[in-house]
Amino acid sequence: MNIIVCMKWIPDTSEADLTVAAGAKDIKKDDLDHDINDWDRFAVEEAVQIKEKVGGKVTVVCVAPEDSEETLRECLARGADEAFQVWSDEMEGGDGYCTASILAKFIKNRDFDLVLTGTLAEDDGAGQVGGMLAAMLDIPSSTLVSKIEIHDKKASFLRELEGGLYESVETDIPCLISVATGLNEPRFVSIRAVRKVASIDIPNMGIEELGMDAGQVGQAGARLVMEEVSLPPEGEGAEIIAGKPEESAARLAEILKEKGALG
Amino acid sequence: MIKNIYVIAEQRKGSLRDITWEAVAAGKKLATDLGAELTCVLLCGKGGLIAEQLAVEVPKVLLVENPVFESTNSEAVISTLKELIKPQGSYLVVMGASNSTLDFAPGLSVALDAALATDCFSLEVKDGRLLASRQIYSYKINSVVSFKNSDRVVLTLRAGSFQFSPAGEAKGTITNEPCPIDESKLRKRFIKYVEAEKGDVDVASADIIVSIGRGIGDEPDLEMFQSLADTMGGVLACSRPIVDKNLLPKYHQVGTSGIEVKPKVYLALGISGAFQHLGGIKGSPLLIAVNKDARAPIFRVANYGIVGDLNEVVPALEEKIKSLKG
Ligand SMILES: Cc1cc2nc3c(=O)[nH]c(=O)nc-3n(C[C@H](O)[C@H](O)[C@H](O)COP(=O)(O)OP(=O)(O)OC[C@H]3O[C@@H](n4cnc5c(N)ncnc54)[C@H](O)[C@@H]3O)c2cc1C
Ligand SMILES: Nc1ncnc2c1ncn2[C@@H]1O[C@H](COP(=O)(O)O)[C@@H](O)[C@H]1O
Repeated sequence: MNIIVCMKWIPDTSEADLTVAAGAKDIKKDDLDHDINDWDRFAVEEAVQIKEKVGGKVTVVCVAPEDSEETLRECLARGADEAFQVWSDEMEGGDGYCTASILAKFIKNRDFDLVLTGTLAEDDGAGQVGGMLAAMLDIPSSTLVSKIEIHDKKASFLRELEGGLYESVETDIPCLISVATGLNEPRFVSIRAVRKVASIDIPNMGIEELGMDAGQVGQAGARLVMEEVSLPPEGEGAEIIAGKPEESAARLAEILKEKGALG
Repeated sequence: MIKNIYVIAEQRKGSLRDITWEAVAAGKKLATDLGAELTCVLLCGKGGLIAEQLAVEVPKVLLVENPVFESTNSEAVISTLKELIKPQGSYLVVMGASNSTLDFAPGLSVALDAALATDCFSLEVKDGRLLASRQIYSYKINSVVSFKNSDRVVLTLRAGSFQFSPAGEAKGTITNEPCPIDESKLRKRFIKYVEAEKGDVDVASADIIVSIGRGIGDEPDLEMFQSLADTMGGVLACSRPIVDKNLLPKYHQVGTSGIEVKPKVYLALGISGAFQHLGGIKGSPLLIAVNKDARAPIFRVANYGIVGDLNEVVPALEEKIKSLKG
């Protein structure tokens, strides 16, 4: 079973104080740490677990500049067999459609059975690259997937719907599966595991190697135009209870009591 | 210019889902602003009754009936919509953002050679140009996007963002379209629905909820939170990452893919306030948030907030509550 995992390298914004960059087309990213998109860590783990069960090879690919190498190496330490970084300067400013086109080019010439992605990336919150990529590769796809089982030439799994409902689905292989968070427990990466993969080469591929031209990537190839980013309006918002932790906690307890909210 | 706006209706088990009406509302507004014609497309096992519900609100309903549409099979949906819509040349396709449309909207955009903007919370037509607002970077930043080619666009819309008020007087036409699908050729097959396991704690009907999120850290002291919940006479609930990490079972998860709750008090500890989480909190509880990030989105919807470390606030809060209760 040859499995290709698409991994996105994203700025970690969950706890950061964000500011809008000059020109208001993006946020300031220089000071932000970057990391593997959380959903994709689950995808890498799932790929490695499937390989451990049925054999095969796990290839991780990330469309991102050079700095993403460290996260690709983490994927190797997590059990992937090879990792590719895909980038040319022309790719700057592309959208999800460009990324899907690039990944499709990368994957088309390979021998693969399964493509795994995350369902959604926390930076653009789009949830689009998996489904677009599958359409470009002309293979069936599914999002929000857990409990994957691989039989002969079929994958069966659960898809998450709303309100605690799931659907059980089966697709032919090759197929693309966008995983849900929580479908496995991503392994702990030991220092030993990191050392073991330190010398593995992580090749870089650019538009030439992929056989693409500059018009298909970056802003030129994008279908969306970013007009403006902004911090959401402050609005009314919560009444903030100021003070030291003990003081604000005490005040909160009183408020709860006043509102009759203490059971 | 776009002449046709298609609203894709969403049904599950033969009933229309509410989010369809929001998409209808957005579609109607866009049809007026762009001078385009509105059509609602319904893919259904047996859809006659739902089609009639739609026809009192929209001028035109296209109905495709086939047993394969008893579930939302993305492969079947994409090829059917492609057959129906692509020949028109230019189109704006609008639908609610849901776990079902998440499965087919991206593939549909490729099949229709269209641009895609998912999870839009607001739409605007400015000088004839369509602008869509979405949230990015863990829902902390707003962005406005436009489309290089406005002739072919697919949009999914965030639930709760577009107000629908029924007019009930459209007298729309209902047209049965043949189903272009050969079921035996589908590579994706729906097997059955599966319900999540039910637990011993009923979060859905609790009046007081203490809810924990990723902010409790990687090695949390769950006892501390359970103890606070007990002292408050409430139950413990959580956001999705807590279930993902196996810290609590799924039946504690509040949100669109978890449980809907209607408490009187909801205390959110270390929860950022993603809309999928807030989507599970119904009614208007007294919403209180403790978060160390003053800009966390949860503070925009909470009634009261404490900006601080929950590990310091929680024990102090429990102590004070105990003393108040005497
Ligand atoms: C299709 C789909 C369905 C989903 N369904 C659900 C659902 O049903 N329910 C759900 O919850 N989510 C759901 N999600 C996920 C949702 O988008 C968010 O990722 C999730 O709600 C975030 O959880 P969180 O707030 O706990 O974590 P985060 O967003 O990581 O927030 C953690 C917060 O803790 C704060 N914090 C950190 N340390 C401390 C500290 N020491 N003291 C105080 N505060 C601290 C941080 O400032 C941050 O604001 C869904 C997503 C998708 C795509
Ligand atoms: N630049 C990228 N490189 C590799 N994979 C990506 C990239 N962007 C998105 N993906 C994959 O597509 C999924 C959905 O991302 P998005 O459509 O951006 O929300 C991610 O979880 C990744 O698996």
